[in-house]
Amino acid sequence: MHPYFEHDLAQTRRQFFGSTGVRLGAAALAGVLANSGSASAADATGGKVHPALPGFPHFPPKAKSVIYLHMNGGPAQMDLWDYKPGLNEYFDKDLPDSVRQNQRITTMTSGQKRLPVAPSKFKFAQHGQCGRWVSELLPHTAQHVDKIALVKSVHTNAINHDPACTFVMTGSEVPGKPSLGSWVSYGLGAETNNLPSFVVLTPTWSAKAAAQALFTRMWSSGFLATSYSGVALRSVGDPVLYIQNPPGVESRDRRAMLDVLSKLNQRQFQELGDPEIQARIAQYEMAFRMQGSVPELVDLKGETKETLEAYGPDVNTPGTFAASALLARRLVERGVRVVQLLHRGWDQHGNLPGDITLQCRDVDQPCGALLNDLKQRGLLDTTLVVWGGEFGRTVYSQGQLTKETYGRDHHPRNFCMWMAGGGIKGGISFGETDDFSYNVVENPANVNDLNATILHCLGIDHERFTYKFQGLEQRLTGVEGPKIIPELLA
Amino acid sequence: MSLASLLSLGLPFAAVFAADDVKFGRDVLPILSAHCFACHGPDAGARKGDLRLDEPEAAFAKRDSGTPLKAGSLDESEVWQRIISTDESTVMPPPAAKKPLTEAQKEILRKWIEQGAKYQKHWAFDPPVKSELPVVNRPGWQENPIDRFLLARLQQAGLEPRPEASRSTLIRRVAFALTGLPPTPAEVEQYEKDAAPNAYENMVDRYLASPRYGEEMARHWLDVARYADTHGLHLDNVREMWAYRDWVIGAFNRNLPFDQFTIEQLAGDKLPNPTRDQLIATGFNRCNVTTSEGGSIDSEFLFRYAVDRTSTTIQAWMGLTGGCAVCHDHKYDPLTSREYYSLYSFFYSSADPAMDRNINTTDPFLRLPDADQERDLAALRAAEQQAKQALDELTAKLEFVDPAEANPAPVKRPVSDVWFDDLFPAGARLNCSSRNASVWSNAPQTTVASGVRALRQSFASNYTDKAENFGVSLVVPEQARFHVFAKVDANEPPQAIMLELQTSKGTRRAIWGNPEKIGGGQVGTPERLSLGDLPAKGQWILLEVTGEQWQLSGGEAVRGITFGQFGGIVEWDRLSVSGELAPAIDPRASFRAWWNDRKGIETPGVPGDLAAALRDGPDKETTPEIRTRLRNFFLSSSARPTNADWKLARNRYDFALAQRVALEEGLPGTFIFKDLDQPRDAFVMTRGQYDKPGQKVEPTVPAIFPALKLDDPARRPNRLDLAKWLMSPDHPLPARVTVNRLWQQFFGMGIVKTSDDFGAQGEPPTHPELLDWMAVQYRESGWNTKAFVKLLLTSSAFRQDGKVLPEVFAKDPENRLYARGPRFRLDAEQIRDNSLFVSGLIRLKMGGPGVRPYQPPNIWEPVGYADSNTRFYLQDHGESLYRRSVYCFLKRTAPPPFMSNFDGPNREQLCARRERTNTPLQALQLMNDTQQFEAARAFAERILEQGGKTTDERLRYAYITVLSRPPAEQELVLLREAVAGYQERYSADLPSADKVVRVGESRLKSGASVPELAAWTLVSNLILNLDETVTRN
Repeated sequence: MHPYFEHDLAQTRRQFFGSTGVRLGAAALAGVLANSGSASAADATGGKVHPALPGFPHFPPKAKSVIYLHMNGGPAQMDLWDYKPGLNEYFDKDLPDSVRQNQRITTMTSGQKRLPVAPSKFKFAQHGQCGRWVSELLPHTAQHVDKIALVKSVHTNAINHDPACTFVMTGSEVPGKPSLGSWVSYGLGAETNNLPSFVVLTPTWSAKAAAQALFTRMWSSGFLATSYSGVALRSVGDPVLYIQNPPGVESRDRRAMLDVLSKLNQRQFQELGDPEIQARIAQYEMAFRMQGSVPELVDLKGETKETLEAYGPDVNTPGTFAASALLARRLVERGVRVVQLLHRGWDQHGNLPGDITLQCRDVDQPCGALLNDLKQRGLLDTTLVVWGGEFGRTVYSQGQLTKETYGRDHHPRNFCMWMAGGGIKGGISFGETDDFSYNVVENPANVNDLNATILHCLGIDHERFTYKFQGLEQRLTGVEGPKIIPELLA
Repeated sequence: MSLASLLSLGLPFAAVFAADDVKFGRDVLPILSAHCFACHGPDAGARKGDLRLDEPEAAFAKRDSGTPLKAGSLDESEVWQRIISTDESTVMPPPAAKKPLTEAQKEILRKWIEQGAKYQKHWAFDPPVKSELPVVNRPGWQENPIDRFLLARLQQAGLEPRPEASRSTLIRRVAFALTGLPPTPAEVEQYEKDAAPNAYENMVDRYLASPRYGEEMARHWLDVARYADTHGLHLDNVREMWAYRDWVIGAFNRNLPFDQFTIEQLAGDKLPNPTRDQLIATGFNRCNVTTSEGGSIDSEFLFRYAVDRTSTTIQAWMGLTGGCAVCHDHKYDPLTSREYYSLYSFFYSSADPAMDRNINTTDPFLRLPDADQERDLAALRAAEQQAKQALDELTAKLEFVDPAEANPAPVKRPVSDVWFDDLFPAGARLNCSSRNASVWSNAPQTTVASGVRALRQSFASNYTDKAENFGVSLVVPEQARFHVFAKVDANEPPQAIMLELQTSKGTRRAIWGNPEKIGGGQVGTPERLSLGDLPAKGQWILLEVTGEQWQLSGGEAVRGITFGQFGGIVEWDRLSVSGELAPAIDPRASFRAWWNDRKGIETPGVPGDLAAALRDGPDKETTPEIRTRLRNFFLSSSARPTNADWKLARNRYDFALAQRVALEEGLPGTFIFKDLDQPRDAFVMTRGQYDKPGQKVEPTVPAIFPALKLDDPARRPNRLDLAKWLMSPDHPLPARVTVNRLWQQFFGMGIVKTSDDFGAQGEPPTHPELLDWMAVQYRESGWNTKAFVKLLLTSSAFRQDGKVLPEVFAKDPENRLYARGPRFRLDAEQIRDNSLFVSGLIRLKMGGPGVRPYQPPNIWEPVGYADSNTRFYLQDHGESLYRRSVYCFLKRTAPPPFMSNFDGPNREQLCARRERTNTPLQALQLMNDTQQFEAARAFAERILEQGGKTTDERLRYAYITVLSRPPAEQELVLLREAVAGYQERYSADLPSADKVVRVGESRLKSGASVPELAAWTLVSNLILNLDETVTRN
């Protein structure tokens, strides 16, 4: 018998189901890694299971992780952030042709006889030292405007949800490209060995209207290896797919199995010398560690009463935006690279005032709490928080317009997003729109400009961050000459 | 050996520095392409300094600033001087481009210029020719031409091949390669005992002949074809085109030559008198994602679909990345935007609409009756017509006295009517909440309560079938009693079922089960009656509602009938009503009452020239002739028969109609591709924008390739010409691209690694002469795929063992030179199918609609559009849980985890090459997924039943079944410990043992003791998780 194997076997006999099983597994793994070529690579990267690509980051990053809060459906910019007091005079008047400039509109309103202007029915007030105008719908977020860089001039090419969502998340309207989070975890790897590097949460929402769909392509890895896909952390069933052992199988049973499994695999490695076998042994060990770390992650018992209260009453209901926002902080705290929250229900073609109020109630307090929580823990400096949808909404009403209610159609020409935290200058506003919030009049910001800026905060030069696929050096930010927005940077 | 390929193999640069044969295509072009052509290449729009380096004429032309390239002279070559410049403002590539050249690349360029800067056409654009077979001198490596090429190259690199793998390894390798399944122990034994000299070849032949071969081959092509079961965009609703998937499987099984395979998919509809199969094959070009998102602009999506089809065709057959030329001339390959759009114009005239309407039968849609069904349909149509004629003739002759005109008025009579059975009342407009046609289960495949079929409702949420706008009048009798049959599914009972009527008094609903789950109005009122629990599961139950409960008195009209359910599966059959009614006000007894009832509404089925009179009511003046004909229409279509002959004639007609409709509506169908009668004009779309048409283009092919051959040059070329052009012997690409993809499938990586890019940006072939030899061989064999696959599998290269020697690994980590046998992780489908197969759970039924096996909750739900018919996953039961993975339903926006976790593409676009990742999520799935763990238990049962008595015998059985080899002593030692350990653990914890053996829905078969079965379940789970198990060794 091979001496290495004999030694291992002795250990197994002694410790099968023994209390030291877990430690044995780790020790056995360490032994495996020490013998393999990949171990030296792991050592060179500080023992990370998912190290950064060589040469990454390109320069010292400001942010180590990203929390991307995606408001799916297209929040109405003029009801939240893009204050247009002059619109009140235009109530129910036709949108001037000089403003519309014959731009295309969707077939949902292109048949409407009139395009009557619908001023926001919500009150705005100035907040913070920067004096930012914020809608009464966002009282909690408003308290943090001095941390926030607001971009009022974001524009996109797509006028419908499916292509627009695909564009905002992958930099391309056509399915098949990797998502922002996949790119980042491909380039930067993960700080944690116990959790995936890119985690996705899809919280519940409150709007009454039928909510738009999400697509797994918004967090999938496209042409990159699927290991860079976002892992959905779920509120129903297992938090991570298949994390739970089958009924009747306990952790020690699994440990016992893994100890034998890794020895049998190790034997196979010694016979064939294929390093993939060692990678598999390591992945099984990581799976086992995740079985321990994920339940700990989603268990909020350790949070203080103050913290829980700050996120609002929904925080105790798994799957809400509040609970997800708190989880986002816990994930970042544990070294997860990218956390993406996709909150549905923002597609308000009719009854906008009713639904947007419900939606803001879902997200406003948790957003404020998240910024504060990160700040208090010293994480905000290294965490970039991004908030926004896939497009904006029209100033003219879709359907009936009254003082009390109106609807708004899709508007790709300008919408608002905000960023805060790692690398971002707080208390600023970038870009300006016309009096109707219909056209950008100053400092346009394409979705890909923002993505380039996000990568910059993470220490990545978006132009050098390429992956060869189908004969092209593919980039998250595309080929239309996207530019970092220096004004947003601290 | 070329410089670049040596470099890519990681050989030390110094070792090859002396090699002098720099080749343009292989060594230089990739560098120019990656670093220079973006600004100095074919794309005129992006060209800088008016300099192009992709054409020798331009590169050698003298300019004011000097000569870009001077053959043999570094000093006089401006290009070289700029490359080595240390001045940031003149150095090339400019620092801003962020594409600096490495020293090794500079050396290649230096040598190339020194050697005369010879340009050659990019290798892939010259037609392949068979070169002389290399002479090699090694037994076993001379017979198969593939081996001669490979060995010559190996020995050039100073490497030697590995010996042949063991028979057990070989048969498992071949079985997975050809069928996607492991060999059975009997097959292993047969092969191991076979002393014939051609035992291996015979074994390969056996698997080539298996129907499983087509299933395995098809799934690779289905990645290319981007086949899936949903539309892909926005609602991502169900589409019905599994017949195309089955066609692909069948095509491989009957070894349809690849040229025919190509022609039928690209242009089956253009063939003379296309067969049903040839039309199904055109589904290839309907596999693209489509939308019906509200607000979408038609022209945008017509453009996109054509772009998808064009790019997919270019990539699938020519291995070129045509997508680049959508926006601008290709930067690296000789494909201008104009040429791209000329190809696009072949596809731009498709007849399918811009909006798929979110239905599963988006036109052009072909119903697929088989020969028997065609015959039956013809007979049923004739019978129906005959019965109708008989009924009309009989009613025309009837003596009829309208009770409304009788004096004295006749007294109330008992009435009994069927309102729904096989069919809704004549002319009904049906509206199903799924947006698709209503679903029926036909007898005799299912037991119905009455007639020939039952209405089936199946959805994990709210689901309704609503019928309205009837051609006959439904009226509520006095003391009415409504009866309906319902069968609640035993496995998936809904939370509530509902019968709803739209009446002249308003909506009436009756709900069984949870009344909060369905319908509207206040619970407890006639609008929302709660009539108790769900009926007993799994059988037909007659449900009753009375007119009194619904507060409906005699004479109220009924204008709509709705069946509904929430959260499961239910079938409905035969809704009838009985009571009594005065004939004078009964629209099924009185002509006048009927006419009054139809007043002001449309009556489907009424002859056109009578419609106005019917709508006007009986009191408006009209001719006696019209009155008589209306009376006859009434008697034939609506009136309740009052004598035996009449009744018989009516029943005969109703039955014939029901049979015909049931057969017709039960036919499966599939998306097919067709052109509009009038082709659409196609234009170059400026910068790829759908609303910026530029120059008009006609269908033609890029200039770099041979011209289209047309019988009549004046004729507008069509897709058939395009398909034939692709398959013509002088086309340089399709044969190469196809043999390379097959090579990749069997050897793990292509000879051109970038199997989706044969252009200048792709990786050059490791073995160009071999690639060309195989391409010509394949074409000359008549595109005989099975013969070609056999050629690959019978090579000695394929049969080597997979041992990785460290010194070989250092030289060739990716095994590009084939100094060892191919060894790689199984694909997603193979991993799932393997567990099902070894456990004995697998059901090898072929074809049909996509099945829905186990899936964790919340895969579809969190992403689906609220109104999508694939928002909620309703798992199947029974054999569907154990079908092969190629038959599993694939929802593009949320593919099943067993696919996506193991690198299965979501089929949103062509995928020519899957990654092979190794992740903790895969480990979790293989250990804990219900499908996998149930398979472990079923496998454990097999082991205990068939594996002998002792632990060692059983372990041996398990290993042979899964790995086709017995365990080694070292392995036995470890596994015995595991068996004993788990047995001890589960004997002491019966409740846990009991849980372990009850995972999944298949019944426990064996009489084994529960702790023993639980222990073996964990050991089986372990074995199914071995690296060797999930690997093609």
